[in-house]
Amino acid sequence: MDFSISEEQKALRDSIVQFARKELNQNLIERDREQQFPRDLWTKCGEMRLPGLAVPEEYGGLGLESLDTAMALEALGYACEDSGLVFSICAHLLPCVVPIVKYGTEEQKRRWLPGLSNGELIAANCMTEPNTGSDAFAMITKAVPDGDGYRITGTKTFSSNGPVADLLVLFALTDAEKRYHGGVTTFLIPRHSEGITVSKKIEKLGLRTSPFGEISLDNVYVGPEAILGGVGGGSTLFAHSMDWERTCLFAFNVGVMERLLEKSVGYARTRQQFGKPISQFPAISAKIADMKVRLEAARLLVYRAAWKLTRSRTVSMDASIAKLFTSEALLTSSLDAVQIHGGYGYSTEYQIERALRDSVGGTIYSGTSEMQRNIIASWLGL
Amino acid sequence: METSEIRAVVREYILKEFLPGEDPEALTDDLQLVSGRILDSLATLRVVAFLEEKFGFEFEAHEVGVQNLDSIDLMVKFVEEKKR
Repeated sequence: MDFSISEEQKALRDSIVQFARKELNQNLIERDREQQFPRDLWTKCGEMRLPGLAVPEEYGGLGLESLDTAMALEALGYACEDSGLVFSICAHLLPCVVPIVKYGTEEQKRRWLPGLSNGELIAANCMTEPNTGSDAFAMITKAVPDGDGYRITGTKTFSSNGPVADLLVLFALTDAEKRYHGGVTTFLIPRHSEGITVSKKIEKLGLRTSPFGEISLDNVYVGPEAILGGVGGGSTLFAHSMDWERTCLFAFNVGVMERLLEKSVGYARTRQQFGKPISQFPAISAKIADMKVRLEAARLLVYRAAWKLTRSRTVSMDASIAKLFTSEALLTSSLDAVQIHGGYGYSTEYQIERALRDSVGGTIYSGTSEMQRNIIASWLGL
Repeated sequence: METSEIRAVVREYILKEFLPGEDPEALTDDLQLVSGRILDSLATLRVVAFLEEKFGFEFEAHEVGVQNLDSIDLMVKFVEEKKR
């Protein structure tokens, strides 16, 4: 077992950190307050091929394998303080672009991957519906055969990137009897297809620069070229997406944890109370030590799951373990960071409170903590 | 691997993982596992991973469905087709 980081991986991390610090952190308090999605910064990220990290070079991406993709997103999470923007990149890459790489036809790859990699196009995954969350395959959105294609009717909600998307990766019932077991199909649908309405973005607690919204489809026609992974392949495709998302998206959380740790160490060493730095008070230093332990444990779990992504048929349990631990660790460490920074941590100006708000969603999206425990228990035969 | 061997391997796995403590006689080769709600979505994911690893093939996305997984008979038939 070799835990060393290669020179190429170090160079990748350094280039992303340098880029993010220089380009992505301006006017963030205002953008967060106004819930502004920074399309111009997305375009800059596209110039770096960050939306196409795992896309083969022949289709315009960086061609990174899974562990390198996780490391790149970790670096982005560390250096880019706009977690909403990083989340949007993850929501585009992991449950939308990666499935096209894995399951797309040659025609689909040629049509979509270059634009999705270079920042021209944004993708949104459309799975959740108003009455389905954890029970995702209880969906009611239907795709009814019409000639060679389908007509799709239904409503999707909490679709990350939905309000700014160019391409929808949408799941719909093609056989209501079979549902999870062969009854759900994935479709690639241009956002501006006739019959699609996107609601205004939904206001939320954190990740406010990443828009999400509700998408309604009224008898939307799609041709056979829209089917991704074959008719009835939706559950397999979704499981594969979740393996990637629960691993690589939470690599970004690892990066955030490292940034919060550094800020907390720096603050504790310089903030003086009772005539000495607050780092010399065990109540503070112990909190920071715990933050370090959580960071290192989360990183190992994420790296192991990411390493297995391209070496195992499924990393379902590993991904759930990584996701569960990392999301809860980030939430705890964010709260600790606020507490260590005291009144300054509570104020917007120090940009610690935003990290706390941004961290809450991690225990909900990509499957709640409760669902991750269910998945882990199932793999244990319980 | 002979059909009977494949059947025995699949049967043993289903019994051990999803019907612990049940009478083995109750698991007939045509017992509906998905339609009968013995295999839910997570269980199906585990079965697919097991079959792929044990018999060395990969399901296409659209092949993960009741048509191939609803009974031991269907699983054995599918494994044989994929191994052919």
